[in-house]
Amino acid sequence: MKRVIVIGGGPAGMQAAVALKAAGLEPVIVERSDALGGKLRDWHNLFPSATPAREVLDGLRKAVEMARVEVLLHTEVEGLTPDGSKPSVEVALAGGHAVQLSGGRKLEAAAVVVASGFDVFDASLKEEYGYRIYDNVFTTVDVERMLNEGGVALADGSAPRRVAFVHCVGSRDEKVNQKHCSKVCCVTAVKQAMEMRALFPEADIYNFYMDIRMFGPGYEELYQRAQQESRVNFIRGRVSEASPTIDGRIQIKAEDTLVGRPMKMSVDMLVLAVGMKAGSSCEKFARTADAALSPNGFLAPADLFSGCVASGVPGVFYAGAATAPKTIGESLAEGSMAACWVVEYLDTLAK
Amino acid sequence: MGAINFGYTVSAARAIDLDRNDLGPARQIAAEMPEFAACIACGGCTATCTAGALTNFNFRMVQTLVRRGEYAGAWREMNKCMLCGKCRLVCPRGINTRGVVRLIKRKLGDY
Amino acid sequence: MAEMTFYSGFVIPFIVGTSVLFAVILYKYMRWMVRLPREDKRLVRRGVFSRATAEAIWESVAECLLHRRIWKVNPLLGYMHTAFALGWFLLIVVGWAETAAYLGGRLVPLQGHIFFKYFTTSLDHAPRWGVDFEAVMDLLLLYVLSGLALALFKRIRSRALGMRRTTRLTFGDRVALTSLWFVFPMRLLAESATSGIYGSGGFLTGSLGGALVSTMPAASMASFETAAWWGYSVALGVFFVSMPFSRYMHIFTEVPLIFLRRWGLRSGETEKSFDHFQIEACSRCGVCIDPCQMQRDAGVTNVQAAYFIRDRRYGKLTREVADNCLMCGRCEGRCPVGIGVNALRLNSRHSLNGTPADGRYDYVKGLDTSTGSRVFEGAGCEIGYSMKQGRVGFYAGCMTLLSPRILKAMEVIFAAAGEDVWWADRNGGVCCGRPLKLSGDVEAARDMMRFNEGLFRRHGITVLVTSCPICLRVFREDYALEGIEVLHHSEYFERLLSEGRIALSASDDGGLLAYHDPCELGRGCGIYNAPRNLLHAVADLVEPTETRENALCCGSSIANIHLPGAGQLAIGRAVGSAFEATGATEIVTACPLCKKALTRGTDLPVSDLAEVVERHLKVAR
Repeated sequence: MKRVIVIGGGPAGMQAAVALKAAGLEPVIVERSDALGGKLRDWHNLFPSATPAREVLDGLRKAVEMARVEVLLHTEVEGLTPDGSKPSVEVALAGGHAVQLSGGRKLEAAAVVVASGFDVFDASLKEEYGYRIYDNVFTTVDVERMLNEGGVALADGSAPRRVAFVHCVGSRDEKVNQKHCSKVCCVTAVKQAMEMRALFPEADIYNFYMDIRMFGPGYEELYQRAQQESRVNFIRGRVSEASPTIDGRIQIKAEDTLVGRPMKMSVDMLVLAVGMKAGSSCEKFARTADAALSPNGFLAPADLFSGCVASGVPGVFYAGAATAPKTIGESLAEGSMAACWVVEYLDTLAK
Repeated sequence: MGAINFGYTVSAARAIDLDRNDLGPARQIAAEMPEFAACIACGGCTATCTAGALTNFNFRMVQTLVRRGEYAGAWREMNKCMLCGKCRLVCPRGINTRGVVRLIKRKLGDY
Repeated sequence: MAEMTFYSGFVIPFIVGTSVLFAVILYKYMRWMVRLPREDKRLVRRGVFSRATAEAIWESVAECLLHRRIWKVNPLLGYMHTAFALGWFLLIVVGWAETAAYLGGRLVPLQGHIFFKYFTTSLDHAPRWGVDFEAVMDLLLLYVLSGLALALFKRIRSRALGMRRTTRLTFGDRVALTSLWFVFPMRLLAESATSGIYGSGGFLTGSLGGALVSTMPAASMASFETAAWWGYSVALGVFFVSMPFSRYMHIFTEVPLIFLRRWGLRSGETEKSFDHFQIEACSRCGVCIDPCQMQRDAGVTNVQAAYFIRDRRYGKLTREVADNCLMCGRCEGRCPVGIGVNALRLNSRHSLNGTPADGRYDYVKGLDTSTGSRVFEGAGCEIGYSMKQGRVGFYAGCMTLLSPRILKAMEVIFAAAGEDVWWADRNGGVCCGRPLKLSGDVEAARDMMRFNEGLFRRHGITVLVTSCPICLRVFREDYALEGIEVLHHSEYFERLLSEGRIALSASDDGGLLAYHDPCELGRGCGIYNAPRNLLHAVADLVEPTETRENALCCGSSIANIHLPGAGQLAIGRAVGSAFEATGATEIVTACPLCKKALTRGTDLPVSDLAEVVERHLKVAR
């Protein structure tokens, strides 16, 4: 059997499928939504180069199409049941017109690549920030959507005169059971602050951060450009709460820790840089495949160094943000890497 | 800012001298309450603090100074705390801030 | 009956034990009574000749002898305690009756009653007064022995008696417990030996005595008899001596406690003499251990009420034991002796942690950030008196200020009801003082309370609504707010609904709500129905297994100043699973702190009552 099931049709899954096909295997992408692309579909321009997300997405889609990879949309994987050398995937069709098959269908494969990605942290859980309570509190995901839809504006359609970004919403926060750093939110917030500057040349833009983690190539340079060229004000302090003002703006409180004094300010728009939460299906996959979960709920790779795409369960491999927060670039790299590991695994089996 | 000058200015003469400072009490406090060391200085506590809005009390700074062995005035500063617990609710590291306030007062109480 | 001298060498341990027991107990009680504060003494004087005394007598019988409350915990456990208490009590009473029946009005020393069988072998033991005393006494002895058998069984398998865990014992407890266990088997052997030798005895002692005589030569039988009576007396003596220093002090102390409590004495926020009666009335039965979530979910096993009281009694109380408690009151509600352990813990905290107020909150003087009140503007921050009558004030409290969904809901509901509201602390205010009080800083907390009192009065409100049960409780218990009605928002909503000022529409989304009782609201203020009535009006309601008076604590109680975040989370998760097990689609609570704690503990949506009411407001009125 040459079939390899790729769970998730995001960047990591698409890349893995293309690479598997190139290696002469028969990948099948199982995607629960109605289209390939994952969350990449919702992004506007990608940091740090401002490459349009659409460009990357189109490239991947074209590659999947050209390789004639089989794709099952609207299909949700209910669980993995490894059976020695022949893992099989219980596939239940959910949604659409295939509901009657739910629970009954079973798809056999030689190996599985779990590329099920992450969930966006639900900002309304940080009640004190007022998301879904006050009109002009948005998340970075909302801002990407607005940018894609062609315009960032306040709820009444007007342009904001003062925008504040709050870093680490749903990251590094025990109070919402998210101890980990989501890694990409800092650079996303910096990128969006610069985009805001381009849209609103006269606006005041503030970024409230605990630490700025600019780990990738060109990120630190981006940060410096944001400070110098985009005139973004960086304030080192975590916003503790947001409240409405009489004139319908939002008042935020923080400590300016570099000065050592509490501060408050009113803004027109508050943007919450939401973090990455373990994908809701991670637990299900780990349980059914008898694989390990990290304390933060992501799938735990067998080894953080030489086995970062290995699950520790024969025939089950990981790629992308199913194991930890990752950038698009890292997810793509892991997609290719997982394909290599599958090929090597099947070769070993054949001998 | 008035009579209490608590760590807001750092001139050469006021440099924190870790060669001289006695870190014993700070270590004792950390031993009794290990979370004391977990602060990432985000300032959320100070931002939400009622006492901090009305006085120059700054919980984050006082406890940081205590960790550096700078104890002068710490007890008096902590005495402004109402122990209401808002800081504990906002602390992203889940530090038992009220416990820290009390522990610092107890260990460094100077009356 | 010249031979009836009522003396033999073996009675000495018993006499010594009894004397020590009564001397120590009298000394303790006298001391504690003398040291009662003046107002407590006044309560005693006023109470002695009141109905309360009669009620206390009945309660003493019901609790100290019949152990009614323990029966409610577990019938087997109740049987065990009753067998010891009532059985022994009846053995003494019937024993005295037996003495009187056979010896008339003759003055008999104490040991004569206790060792009656030994000293009255020359008597004809035929029934007197129409009562077969030997049979009755044997029956009672058997009753006590059955309790003893259960006690032994409980040491091995406590679960069978409804207790997963029982208390760990102190040295004094061990001595007392061991001697107590010997008392009744030794009595059985001693009375049986005598009955065997003299051919007397009831169905139990008589037949066992007969069996002994038939298996033993007469000479050894005689020494066996002496040894058994010595054993019985020694067991009694040791038990009596150790009793006032062990947990068995509760046997006597529960009685004065019941009387004093009926007369109105209570433990307060600072330690006082009455506390001794509460502390030494604790039998360390351990009923408080199982319900404790600190033990169950956070793995903390040294702070439970029985251990706290034990440590305090023996002067070994540490801050950790005093502080590491949620003060949720789950144990207090189940205590068979009705000990007010939360008050004791609070005043221990005061002794251990209290610091002088030192005017440390003087900086709040003159502060007024309240809004919505139309008072005339004087110079600077001076606030005049509101001219408006019937004004409703809303005090959010620190925790609600960090829960804007609740604030917004309150705003919408107030608007829907057409209420003109004065917002006491919307822009930040002074804490209610309860967190500080619960930490033991009673005096400083009072400063805060006086400040808020003044603020409320200055604005002339007549109703004070709060969404925070912590604030509610301190307003009701510690604030002097005569003329201002203090309401929890649940009570206020209920009133709006009954007055027709708001209307609610039931939801049709098939949602199933489960209500979480906040400790401070339920056990603290006795408010269980108001939130439920409102929820019933809008949706179906399910209850978790432990609910209302037995409701679980969310784990983030402001009263625990010691527990690290991991412990809070562990308790929150356990509570979360209890709610998930109900099949509810949403958890509703009525405390901002519970809401935050539960949100961490479960994936189910958690809302405050105000949000649910807001969601179901009928807009067109």
